[in-house]
Amino acid sequence: MESIMQLMQGFTVALQPMNIMWVTIGGVLGTIIGMLPGLGPATGVAVLLPLTFSMGPVAALITMGGVYYGAMYGGSRASILLNTPGDGAAVAATFDGYPMTQQGRAEAALAISAIASFIGGVIATGFMVLVSVPVARFAIRFGAAEYFQLYVFALAATASMSKGNRIKGFMAMIIGLMIATIGIDAQSGVKRFTFGILELQSGIDFLIVIIAIFALGEVFKSFQNIKEGKTHVQKDFGRIWISREDWKRCVIPILRSSPLGFFIGALPGAGGTMASLMAYNNERQMSKHPDEFGKGAIEGLAAPEAANNAASVGAMIPMLTLGIPGSGTTAVMMGALMILGMKPGPLLFQQQPVIIWGLIASMFIGNIILAIVNIPLAGGLVRVLSVPPKILYPIVLGLSFVGAYAISYSVMDFYILLVFGVLGYIMGKAKIPTSPLILAVIVGNNMEQSFRRAFTISDGSMQIFFNSPISIVLFALTIISICFPMGKAVFIKMRERRQAFA
Amino acid sequence: MRHLTKSMMVLVTIVLLLSTATALFANGGAETTAENYPKGNLDFVAPGGAGGGWDLTIRTTAKILKDTNLVSVPMPVRNNPGAGGSVHLASLQEMKGQDRTITVYSPPLLLTKLAGTTDLGYEDVTPLAGLIADYAAFVVKADSPYKTMADLMNALKSDIKSVKIGGISSAGSMDHLQFLIMAKASGVKNLNKIDYVSFDDSAVAMVLGGHIDLFSTGLSEVAGLIESGDLRALGQTADHRVGTGIIAEIPTCKEQGIDATFINWRGIFGPPEMPEYAVTYWRETIKKLVATDEWAAAKEMNGWDDAYMDAPEFTTFLGKANDDFKSILEEIGMLHQ
Repeated sequence: MESIMQLMQGFTVALQPMNIMWVTIGGVLGTIIGMLPGLGPATGVAVLLPLTFSMGPVAALITMGGVYYGAMYGGSRASILLNTPGDGAAVAATFDGYPMTQQGRAEAALAISAIASFIGGVIATGFMVLVSVPVARFAIRFGAAEYFQLYVFALAATASMSKGNRIKGFMAMIIGLMIATIGIDAQSGVKRFTFGILELQSGIDFLIVIIAIFALGEVFKSFQNIKEGKTHVQKDFGRIWISREDWKRCVIPILRSSPLGFFIGALPGAGGTMASLMAYNNERQMSKHPDEFGKGAIEGLAAPEAANNAASVGAMIPMLTLGIPGSGTTAVMMGALMILGMKPGPLLFQQQPVIIWGLIASMFIGNIILAIVNIPLAGGLVRVLSVPPKILYPIVLGLSFVGAYAISYSVMDFYILLVFGVLGYIMGKAKIPTSPLILAVIVGNNMEQSFRRAFTISDGSMQIFFNSPISIVLFALTIISICFPMGKAVFIKMRERRQAFA
Repeated sequence: MRHLTKSMMVLVTIVLLLSTATALFANGGAETTAENYPKGNLDFVAPGGAGGGWDLTIRTTAKILKDTNLVSVPMPVRNNPGAGGSVHLASLQEMKGQDRTITVYSPPLLLTKLAGTTDLGYEDVTPLAGLIADYAAFVVKADSPYKTMADLMNALKSDIKSVKIGGISSAGSMDHLQFLIMAKASGVKNLNKIDYVSFDDSAVAMVLGGHIDLFSTGLSEVAGLIESGDLRALGQTADHRVGTGIIAEIPTCKEQGIDATFINWRGIFGPPEMPEYAVTYWRETIKKLVATDEWAAAKEMNGWDDAYMDAPEFTTFLGKANDDFKSILEEIGMLHQ
């Protein structure tokens, strides 16, 4: 109850007109940044960092928070409309969001994405008020072995993502895992596959791979379509809203995915990308009609959208309660906290209650404002579909290069971008699914490192992977998520055969 | 339709400008001489990402130089991250003999060369001054059986595999070596057999959760968790007590009979062969900077210890620090030949 009282005090801070202005500015800025390929919340917060010198601590944190979840709202816009996710957390929005656009349902897709984001954000903020400390204490029970099991579970999701052809899905996954080994190996200090190129020593940023495969891939594909005269431009646009039936399909997935996203976000080694992909996979397996997934099932868009927004809230928990960065973005925010003279750690809530509760209260307000702003904004954005591809795709191409450059200000990234763009195109031609590759690039390095960390800690005993209840549960989930779809397929086939004989 | 496309274009243009603004930095350009230096924009660079230690140091330096009017020309700060600062080190070689770029480095400047990440080292930049110091801290979970550095070292001596040491940086880098320096001084043999696990940012969570026995890190990184009582510091590596309150109660390794210190220094550097007038200017300016009240306040706020050294002294110090690292790396077989 004490936390409710403090939250009320937080609201008196967050509701000050100046702070409402800051959260709006932060949120809108975040939405715009999130829409651009490569520019995610981490970049947005980093850009704001110099400004925090001149802002007060409350204003600075509120604005940065706004940028963070604002980027979650914005990130999926480009995924839905152009199949070009701006950030890792928005990849899952392409799976069903883009097919919806192709079916002329972009308005509903954009609406549900804003609604799901809003609900996810509000639910997660509510959890944060009530259970942030127990969640943080639970999260630190994840050691190297538990993380390894978590990453394997996430990777097992690729089994359900490789529509139809499992072998090709595995091929894509292996390529992704290979890419993830590039760079200095943290456990031994050895350089792997860097070919003497300095920039490769830090590894290949998964954002570059995402931009290359999705954005550049889309440009290449449309180039061909334009040449063959197969372009489609949408002329009429409806209202940005959803039907009652759409809502019915989405409400449960949203409510299920929000806590999941919140918790995955609160794990210091996971994040929005994993949260959204796991939510997607989860819904697909629970769905009564899994074959609609990937072909424009609205709940396949709603679930990851709710999850990634909830994850962005959850990621602040380790930062605020323990002083541990929960994600790349919160790492930058922690830098800002230090610039502002605060010491991140368990005493932060006691030492700076006004600032911290002000931030939490502002997340409620910020999510409401963003939902209000995003619906009309989507009405404007959807008209990007009326832009002829000849004009649109060169812009996408330009933005891709700007975004790639902004990740680490390195010209080398342009070459990497081009190489993977071509790879993505070839994979598309060969009908090899790209999502397993993306997921493998995202989790590959962490998975391998966790495996080896666990091995060092256990002096080479495999038992460490089954030592804790968390590991065992995760292992069981992995087995289920691999076997369940296969088993179901076998079962359906058997039933068909029986009916055929009957 | 037409005006919509147009407004889209405007939006895209705005967005393009916004994003390029993050990547661009101002360029001074004008000819400078000894008399009118500095003229035009300076170029302050953090060789790591936003929010990191280098970033915080260079931004604080630029801000106080401006606030105290010690430097009156613009000092935009940019980040040039990659390969532990080596990417920026390489780009500095293209600025040989120039006077505009001011950058910050710390022990990785030495380590990247010793580990073979790059062929460039501290001889390939111009040291201007040592600025501040953080020290290594060796922390355990509050309920750990280890109470002193001696407990820990004895455990290692009786079974080298019994203590798992975690850190943020990769093997052969700072968090690893700062512990090995202490272990060597305590007489632990077979340093290469000590298990060190690199964890990225999640290392703090690992020690809190009891997944590793010891976390080797920087004192300022864990000050909050030490004050809250979640973590206990067995020792720090300065030659004197630092900080206030609970932090000041942490004994040094020296006090505990380990005859070694480790300083995570941060210093200011110019490009290779920086002109004499610029070197003189920055040596004098930094000397004035560290004497200001604003600087004292910043040090206290960030938990930085004073480690000011003028260029000649700093250069000698770098040589010695380099030798220390070299001998440890050689011993564990990670020295790049």
